[in-house]
Amino acid sequence: MKRLQTTILLFLGSVCTIPAAPCEDTPISLDAAKDQGRNTSRFRKETAEVATATDEAPKANLTYFQESVGPILNKSCLPCHGPEKSEGRLRIDQLNPDLLTGPDVERWSEVYNALSKSEMPPEDASDYALADADRGRIVDWLSEELNQASLVRRNSKEHSSFRRLTKYEYNYALQDLLGLPYALANQLPPETASEDGFKNSSELLQMSVMQFETYRELGLKALKRATVSGERPQAVTYVISMPEEMSKAKSTKDDTAADEGKKNKRKPRNEQQLFHRETGESIPFPGGKTMPRTDAVVGQTPAVSQVVLVLPRSHELKLDLDRFLPDEGIMRVRLRAGRSTMNPDEYASLRLIFSAHTSNNANFSQTVGERDIPVTASADDPQWIHFDIPLSDIQRNPFRKLETTFPRRDEFLHIHNVSNSHGGEDPLQVLIDHIEISAPFYEQWPPKTHTDIFFESGSRSDEQVYGREVLSRFLKRVWRRPVTAPDVDQFMDLFARYRPGFATFEDAMVEVLATALATPEFLYLTQRATADETQPSSRISEFEFASRLSMFLWSSIPDDDLLKLAEQGKLREPNVLTAQVNRMLEDPRSKRFSQNFVEQWLGLDRMSSVTHVNDNALRESMLEEPVAFFEEVLKNNRSVLDFIHSDYALVNERLAAHYQIPNVYGPHFRNVPITPQTNRGGLLTNAAIMTMNSDGTDSHPLKRGVWMLRRILDDPPPPPPPNVPEVDLTDPRILQMTLKERIADHRDNAACVSCHSRIDPWGIAFENYDALGVYRTHIKNQPVDATSELFNRQTLEGIDGLKRYLLTDRQDQFARAMVHKLTAYALGRPLSFGDRADVDSLTAQFRRRDDGLGDLIHLIVSSSVFNSQ
Amino acid sequence: MDNKSSLLSRRTFLRGTGIALALPWLETFAVGNPRQDETPKRFVSVYHPDGVGLPLKSDPAWKDWSWFPRGGEQDFELTKVLDVLEPLRSDITIYSGLSHPDARNVHGHSNADQYLTAAPIGGEGPYQNTISLDQVYAEYAGDFTRHSSLVMSTNGGVGGPRGAQTQSFNREGRPIPAMNKPKDIFDLLFVTSGKDAAAKLARSKSALDLLIENTRSLNRQLSSRDQETLKQYLDAVRDTELKLVKAQRWVDNPIPQVDTSNLHLEAEPKEARLYFQTMYELIYLAFLSDSTRVATFQLGRENGEGPHDLLSLAVGLNGAHGLTHEVKNPGGWENLGTYNRYQAEEFGRFAQRLKETPEPTGQGNMLDNTLALHGSASSSFHLSRNYPIISAGGKNLGFTNGRYLKFGTGNEDNQAGAGIDTDAGWQSKQEVEELPLGKLFVTILQRLGVETDSFGGQTGSLSRV
Repeated sequence: MKRLQTTILLFLGSVCTIPAAPCEDTPISLDAAKDQGRNTSRFRKETAEVATATDEAPKANLTYFQESVGPILNKSCLPCHGPEKSEGRLRIDQLNPDLLTGPDVERWSEVYNALSKSEMPPEDASDYALADADRGRIVDWLSEELNQASLVRRNSKEHSSFRRLTKYEYNYALQDLLGLPYALANQLPPETASEDGFKNSSELLQMSVMQFETYRELGLKALKRATVSGERPQAVTYVISMPEEMSKAKSTKDDTAADEGKKNKRKPRNEQQLFHRETGESIPFPGGKTMPRTDAVVGQTPAVSQVVLVLPRSHELKLDLDRFLPDEGIMRVRLRAGRSTMNPDEYASLRLIFSAHTSNNANFSQTVGERDIPVTASADDPQWIHFDIPLSDIQRNPFRKLETTFPRRDEFLHIHNVSNSHGGEDPLQVLIDHIEISAPFYEQWPPKTHTDIFFESGSRSDEQVYGREVLSRFLKRVWRRPVTAPDVDQFMDLFARYRPGFATFEDAMVEVLATALATPEFLYLTQRATADETQPSSRISEFEFASRLSMFLWSSIPDDDLLKLAEQGKLREPNVLTAQVNRMLEDPRSKRFSQNFVEQWLGLDRMSSVTHVNDNALRESMLEEPVAFFEEVLKNNRSVLDFIHSDYALVNERLAAHYQIPNVYGPHFRNVPITPQTNRGGLLTNAAIMTMNSDGTDSHPLKRGVWMLRRILDDPPPPPPPNVPEVDLTDPRILQMTLKERIADHRDNAACVSCHSRIDPWGIAFENYDALGVYRTHIKNQPVDATSELFNRQTLEGIDGLKRYLLTDRQDQFARAMVHKLTAYALGRPLSFGDRADVDSLTAQFRRRDDGLGDLIHLIVSSSVFNSQ
Repeated sequence: MDNKSSLLSRRTFLRGTGIALALPWLETFAVGNPRQDETPKRFVSVYHPDGVGLPLKSDPAWKDWSWFPRGGEQDFELTKVLDVLEPLRSDITIYSGLSHPDARNVHGHSNADQYLTAAPIGGEGPYQNTISLDQVYAEYAGDFTRHSSLVMSTNGGVGGPRGAQTQSFNREGRPIPAMNKPKDIFDLLFVTSGKDAAAKLARSKSALDLLIENTRSLNRQLSSRDQETLKQYLDAVRDTELKLVKAQRWVDNPIPQVDTSNLHLEAEPKEARLYFQTMYELIYLAFLSDSTRVATFQLGRENGEGPHDLLSLAVGLNGAHGLTHEVKNPGGWENLGTYNRYQAEEFGRFAQRLKETPEPTGQGNMLDNTLALHGSASSSFHLSRNYPIISAGGKNLGFTNGRYLKFGTGNEDNQAGAGIDTDAGWQSKQEVEELPLGKLFVTILQRLGVETDSFGGQTGSLSRV
C-alpha cells in the first residue's frame, strides 16, 4: 500500500510554484494547463493504489514518527506551534502521533493539508524552512497514517444516511406519488444548510410537533386534490373567437370608424388589434369584459381563421373574467397562436398574468403558470398552447363573492407577449385566433389522479376486499417496498373505525391514506439494520438502494420500474444499474438533481438576499446559468475541469447581452463558443457567483475568496475569531485607500493576517468582475489591479492566473472536492474522516477515467459507500 | 343593509380564527389549561384606518384639532381629539415618531396589512406578508386558553392584498380571517358545544395510535444510532397526542358563563355605538373568562366605502374616509378630529372597564395585566409616517404610563407632513428621522414573556418605554 511517495514532491515542484522569469513571460494556455495538471495528478499515477480494508488490524507507525518525522516537526514547526507560541491554536508537540486510535486525527489532517499545499512553514520564516525531502517524509508518513486511520474508522462512521426527506423532496415525492404537478409543501419551514451547503444533510433534518402536524395536514390536502366525488362539475367556460369579436366590434362601431378600418389596409405594426389577414381590415382590441358561455364546448379544433388578434412585443390582452371563476380546480387556458414572421433570431413567448384591482391603491398582479410558453409555429399553421393554473393556489380577488359592487369583484387574465422582436417594417408579433378558458378543467372524469388510487376492480362492491387492494397498492408506493398482510391489517383497522363517520368509502379511505403519508417510512429514508450488529457497514437492501438512487437523481421516490427491478433483485447488476442511471438522467425528473445540487453546492440561495439586481429577467438568467452549465457537462459527460475553465459558455439572450456576447437570441440557454477575449468560461465567473459575492455596490474579494475555498476547493477557512476589529471607516487614512489597499491594511493587523492571507488573494484575482459580474478593466479611472500573492508565494495574475494555477497545481484538490461534494449530496449526510479512504478511492477511479461528470455519477452509485448503511 | 361579508361562508370565518372546528384543527385549537399560578398577560391591538388630523401650526384648527399632545413627556397636554382620555391619563402612553421603515413611501391605503407585521409589502405587484405581532404572542400564550386568539374587524374576512380587513397574519404571512358579527363571535366563545370537534379528536387519536405502533415496529429494525433519529419523530407524535388530550379537556370543559347584559348581538356597523361597544365587550368577556389572551380588532378598511365607512355616523358625520379628504373644507379639521375623538372615547371606555375589574386570578386589575394598543399606519393624509399610537395598561408587565414619548428627531412638533391633502404629500422625501415601530413590538413581546430580540427585521427593543 505504498502510495504517493515521490509524487507529492513532483506535484509541489510543478511549474510556476515559485515565480520564475520564463513563466511570467509566456504563461501557458489554459488548455495546456489542464494537460499539465493532469499529467502531474497523484490520483492518476499507476502507483496510487486504491485503498482497501484488510482483515488484519492495522497498527500505527510510531517508530517512523519517532525516528524521522518528530525531529523535523520539532525543528520547523515547534517554534510557532509549541509552548512558546501556538499560532492557529495548534501545538504540534501535543498532538498524539497515533492516528489510528488517538484523538487528534482531524488536526493531523489539517497539518497534512498545510504541508502538502506548501502553505507551511511560511515563506518569510526562512529559519524554519523545510527541505523538500523533509517535507516529503512528513507528508508521506501522514498520508499513509491518515489513510489507515480512515479505514479503521470507516466502520464507526459518525453520520448516518437515515434521514427525513427535505422539504423539496417531500414535495416531489407527493407530486410523483399522486400525479399532481403543483407545489404541495410550501407550508413546511425551510431547511437549514449544512457546513457543506447541503440541505439534505441527515443531521440537520429535524422533526418537531409543528412539522409533524403540517405533514398530516399537507398529506390530507394533497389527497383531497387528487381524488373527486360525485358527478363531474359543470365547468365555467369563456370563449374568445377573433372572427366573432371582429364582427361584434364592427356592429357596435359607428360607420365612420368601420370605414376608417377598411381604409386602413396597411399591415398593423405596433398596434394591438383585430386584423383580417386577407382583407387587411383592422380594429383596435385591448380586450375587455367577457362572460361565460353555457353552450361552449372546449377542446375542439375550429377551422383556422384569417381574423386574428395581433399582439405586438410587450403588449397584452387583458380579459375581465368578472367573478365567475370557481374557487378550486384547474383553470385551463387554451389558445391557438402563430408567429407573424419566422426570423430565427427573434422569439416570442406567452406569459399568463392574473390580477385584480379591488379599489384604488389596493391591487395585485402575479405571473401564474410555471413558465412562459414559446410560440414557434407560423401564423399560417398555428399551434395550440395551453396553461393549467390551480385556482386555489393563486392570489384571488377575495371580494369576488360580494353582493355589492365595491370593492370591485372582477378578476383579470392577461395574456402577455414576451419577445425580443426587432421591430422594423415587418415586426414579429403573436397572432391569436381563438382562446378558451375553462375551470374546473378535467382531461377525463374521474381524473387519472383519482383512478390511480381508486382503480377499477372486480371486488369494488366489497369494501373489505377492495379496501385491502387500494391500501396494498398505495402503501407499496408510499413505503417503496412490498407490504405484508399485517401492514395492511393495521390500516384496515383504522378504516373500520373511520368508516361510520363518512358518507362514502372513498371519503373514509382518503383519511386513512393520509395517515399513511404521515408514517416514518414515507417521511424518512430508512435503512434497516441487519441481524448482525457487528457488521455495521453492511449493504443496504435492494429497496433501500432504489430509494437512495431516486432521491439522488430525482429528489423523489422510485418509480415502478425501479421498484420492480429491486423486487427481482436485479437493480444492482452492473449492466442493469448503468442502464437505469442513464434512463434516470434522461428523464425530466433529473432536472431536479441539477437544480438542487448546483444550488446547494454553489450556495446560490444567497442570490435571494441580493438587492442590487433590479432586472428580473437578468436575475433569473443569472440563477439559471450555473445549472444549465452543469447540465451541459453532465449530459455530454464532459470533464469537471470545465467548471474551472471552458472554451464555451451557457447563455441566453439576456445573459449574453450582460456578457457582451453577440448574436444570442431567445430566452433558452445554449452552448456558445467563446474566445479568451470574452473573459468567461467555467463556473467561477458566472454572474450569479460574482453578484452574490459582492457588497451590493462593488466586488467583495473576501466573500469571493471564502466562496472559492469553501465551494470549489473544499477547504473552508476557519470562522473568524471573536473580537475581530472592524475596519474603521471614519479613519481618514483608511478612507483614502483603494479597496485592495484597505484589505492589505487589514491583513497587516497581526490578529487578522494568518487567516486573511489564506483567503484574500483568491478573491482579489476576481477584481476584474464588478458587483454584477461584468468584466471591467478600470475602477474609477484606475486600471484594475487583480494581481495577488497566495500564502505560498504563488502569484495569481487575475482570473486567468487563478484558473491556470488551479489547473496546474490544484487539479487533484478540485477533483477530490467535486467527488466529496457529490458524494455527500448523494448520501444525504456529511462525510467524515471515516469516509476519507472511500473518497480517495473514488477520486482515483474518477481521475483515471478523465474526470467525466457522468462517469462520476456511475462511479458513486456503484461504490461501496453508496451501497452501505 | 346586508353586511357585505355575509356571503363568505361561516366556515371561512372559522378557519384560522383561533376558534375551534375549522381545519387545520390541531393548530388552531388551543390546547392547554391556563397556568393557575400565573396571572394572565394579555395583548389587544385596535387598528383604525385613514390616520388622524394634523393641521399646520399656522392653521386656526391646530390648537384644538391636531391629534398629537403638546408639551413634554410628563406634562403633556391633550388636545380636544384625545381629551376624552384625560381620566385615564395615568394608564396610557402616547407615542410619536414611530413607523415601519419599509412603508414610509407607500400610499397609506395599502398599509393596514403591515401595521402589525412590519413586512415590506410595497404598493403593487406580487404580495407577501409576514407574521403579525399578536400571532407571535398567540404562538406563545395560545396554549393556555381555549382559543389561541380572537381576530375581529368591522368588515370581516381577510380583505384583499394591500386592502386588509384583518390585522392578523400567520407564520406563513397568510391573513387570518377576521370575524365581524357579534352573534357569531359570541356563539363561538360561549355557546359552541364542539360535537364535530369531538369526532375529529377521536379520529386523530386513532391515527396517532396507528402511527406510534407503526413507528415502534420500524424502530425495532433500526440500528441504535438511527433509533435516536427516529426518536425525534416519535416524540413529535407523542407530543401531538398530549396536545390532543389537552384539547379533549377543552371539549369536555363547560363553556364559561358570562354576563350578557351589555351585548347587542344583532348590532351592525352602521349602528356604530352599539356595534363598537358590543365588539369591545366581547373582547372584555373573552379576557375575563380567560377564553383567550390575544385579540385584534380593525375598525373599517383603508380607503373607506361600504357600511363600515358609516362608523362616523355615531358622531353625526358621514363617510369616515371622506373626512380625511375634506380637511380643507370649513370645519374639516374639526370633523376629522371629532371622529378620531370618538374612536378614542370607545377605546377609553374599554380600558376603563378593564381597569374597574379586579384580575380574577391574580394581582391588581385587568388593565394592569393587559397591553392595549390603539393606532393607525398613517398619520396625515395618506402619509405612512409618524403613526398615531396610544397604549393603555400593562403596568404589571412593566409599562410606565402617564407619558407622551417622542421618538426620532427633527419633528418634535409633529409638523412634518402636517396639513397635506394631496398625494404629493405621501410621496415626499422624508426629511425627519423616525424610529422603527418594530422595536416597540420587540419591547411588547419581551414584556409579555416571549423570549425574542427581533421583530419584522428589527433587532432590539425601544428605550424609554
